[in-house]
Amino acid sequence: MFAKKALVGLSLLVAAGTLAACGGSSDKSGTANGKTEITFWAAPNPTQVKYWKQMASDFEKANKDITVKVTQMKESPSSEATIQSAIASGTAPTMSENITRSFAAQLAQSKAIVSLNKDAETKSALTSIVDSRDMAKTIDGWKFSDGGQYVVPLYSNPMLFGWRLDMLKDLGIKSVPKTYSDVMNVAKALKAKNSKSVVWALPTGADPTAWQRWFDFFPLYDAASDGQAFVTGKKLVADSKAGKEVFDFVQELHQSGNLLTSKATDPFETKLAVMNIIGSWTFPNWKEKYPDLEYGKNYTLTAPVVPDSMKDAKNVKTYADAKGIVVYAKATTAQKKAAMKFMQFVFKDAKNDLSFLKTTSLLPARDDAATNKEFTSYFEANPYMKPYAENVPNAIPAMDNADYNDIQEKLGKDGWIPALKGEKSPAKAWSDMIASIKGSL
Amino acid sequence: MNKRNDKLGFAFTAPYIIFTTIFFLLPLLWSIWLAFTNWNLISPDIQNVGLGNFIDALKSPAIHAAFFVTYKFLLVFVPLAVVLSMIIAVLVHGLPKFKGLYLVAFFLPYLSSGVVTSLIVKGFLSYNGPLNTWLRNRFDVNIDWLGSPNTALFVVSFMIAWKMSGYYALILISGLESINDEIYEAAMMDGASNRTIFWKITVPMMYPSLYTVLILAVGVSFGIFTEVYQLTGGGPNYATNTWQMEIYNQAFVNLKSGYASAIAILASIVTFMSISVIRKLIEKWGHHYGWN
Repeated sequence: MFAKKALVGLSLLVAAGTLAACGGSSDKSGTANGKTEITFWAAPNPTQVKYWKQMASDFEKANKDITVKVTQMKESPSSEATIQSAIASGTAPTMSENITRSFAAQLAQSKAIVSLNKDAETKSALTSIVDSRDMAKTIDGWKFSDGGQYVVPLYSNPMLFGWRLDMLKDLGIKSVPKTYSDVMNVAKALKAKNSKSVVWALPTGADPTAWQRWFDFFPLYDAASDGQAFVTGKKLVADSKAGKEVFDFVQELHQSGNLLTSKATDPFETKLAVMNIIGSWTFPNWKEKYPDLEYGKNYTLTAPVVPDSMKDAKNVKTYADAKGIVVYAKATTAQKKAAMKFMQFVFKDAKNDLSFLKTTSLLPARDDAATNKEFTSYFEANPYMKPYAENVPNAIPAMDNADYNDIQEKLGKDGWIPALKGEKSPAKAWSDMIASIKGSL
Repeated sequence: MNKRNDKLGFAFTAPYIIFTTIFFLLPLLWSIWLAFTNWNLISPDIQNVGLGNFIDALKSPAIHAAFFVTYKFLLVFVPLAVVLSMIIAVLVHGLPKFKGLYLVAFFLPYLSSGVVTSLIVKGFLSYNGPLNTWLRNRFDVNIDWLGSPNTALFVVSFMIAWKMSGYYALILISGLESINDEIYEAAMMDGASNRTIFWKITVPMMYPSLYTVLILAVGVSFGIFTEVYQLTGGGPNYATNTWQMEIYNQAFVNLKSGYASAIAILASIVTFMSISVIRKLIEKWGHHYGWN
């Protein structure tokens, strides 16, 4: 009996001791040996880790009183969950990249990150970064509904529509479609030819996962609504007319048999589909798997298609797959200053952005991405990247609402998917979706 | 002597008890506490919401869907897994030689990564994959395997059954080999057909191993995650959205850790109750054949 009690007691003692030992032991002052130490979590992408390690090394040479430790953030099970665990356990870094505007909204709501334009230690440095990097227009799209600027946008990948020029030529279509009617004309041409190809193969179109909407609904909606926000803070401000037009378009395309939602492997590349939404991260993969794909020869890139009423629209908006850098609230005063100094160092020279672009194929989030002379030779060597750079100022980042996952799930489940599949009329799908989302706000 | 044996027993079990305390008991207690809060693990504010998370979960359409989907998986996966593993066990048991080699071969899927096999299956079943291409060319038929609720459920169930059947076959084969050959000889002398022998002798005498396999299979069906996550994301229209998917989404995507903990506790209760009911049914069946 005594042995039993002793064993139980010993187990609890060992457990408590183990847990205590596992507790984070961060240096509260952020200094070591008279130097300010900051930790930077790079994205789980080897090219980005490589870039930031180089930047840290160059920065430390010019700033002997600051140490920058760059490590790759884990993805277990996702980078967001890793950050969540780190904050919970008190082991969060000083700063990290790979933060979307929506995730930043979750962090800001939990007071886990610094409002860079309001915090005394960071606001003047932020102004200097915005000026030196020429990103006034780009960062404007990142402002939160509370007026806070929590993220320094790092890269912005506008989502563009890719078109198979070779397939359009075979169909007798001379100009690249711009409007919904133009797209339906492609559908008619495919049907006339009894083609087994479709206009658009969208395997994730019926996937209810929240973030999928960034790559199907939002590019179309941002274009049709001229960049009108969907949700701002706790308010649903979506453009109903534009939204219903989008639903109507995808339903019509699906009903004509030209919007395929079955899982398909590389439909655009294999000429199963004439059109697809293409992110700039696709090209390194194409270089290896599909070297015959040549920009301007057998494919081209445009802004998203728009309702017929917008046929003459310029600067068509699209969704931005964009991420940035945040500074975590647990950082000390010295660490915040050092973090901002590091960002000022990195962003003051366009050559660093060129290095970022060359290393990662991700477009720096700056207003002059297409026109800055530093990037000219890069775009000459990689002409398919120029349309992305030109559309950076037109690209709208994700919504700033901490419940974005819930909202986008309802957008998919109650609106987009039933409209696309013809289960509801576009108007009904939109109104059901609005009612459902309002319940989350 | 008894006291010495007791001490030795405790000494040997101590590492497991300590391990279980640290990695299961304490997190369980913490999770129970978390379920009564709205904490997302990162906010400095923690509010006690009482039974709020549980009530929200019970009212949530996504949880209702997950409840029914899990039972649908159970109804498809368990029979499929048991039948497949029985076929493997009977076939291998009847081999004259190289039984071990065949058993290892059938066991290999159990060792495979769920992520890797899911990606392979996704490619195989895609619109322009080999299966649909052949079906279109041969029969002018196109099946959206992962886009239709019924086929998606079946595909996931079949995948997991394929993965687990080798492992279950190992357990069933031990049951088969424990049956004395003289019983079969006596049955054959009495003129029993193969079918009668199988259903009236083999299956009842395999009760202990069948019991194990059935309970394991039921447990697996309540824990399906990897294949659903990779293949369907819980779709189409939540047709494959299981308890585990919902817990994952709430905890790691929506950052609602308190709510996710409440769902996990509800899922555990449902799992425990379901396994208890199924266990009683299996024991009743075994009792019918003289097993205690």
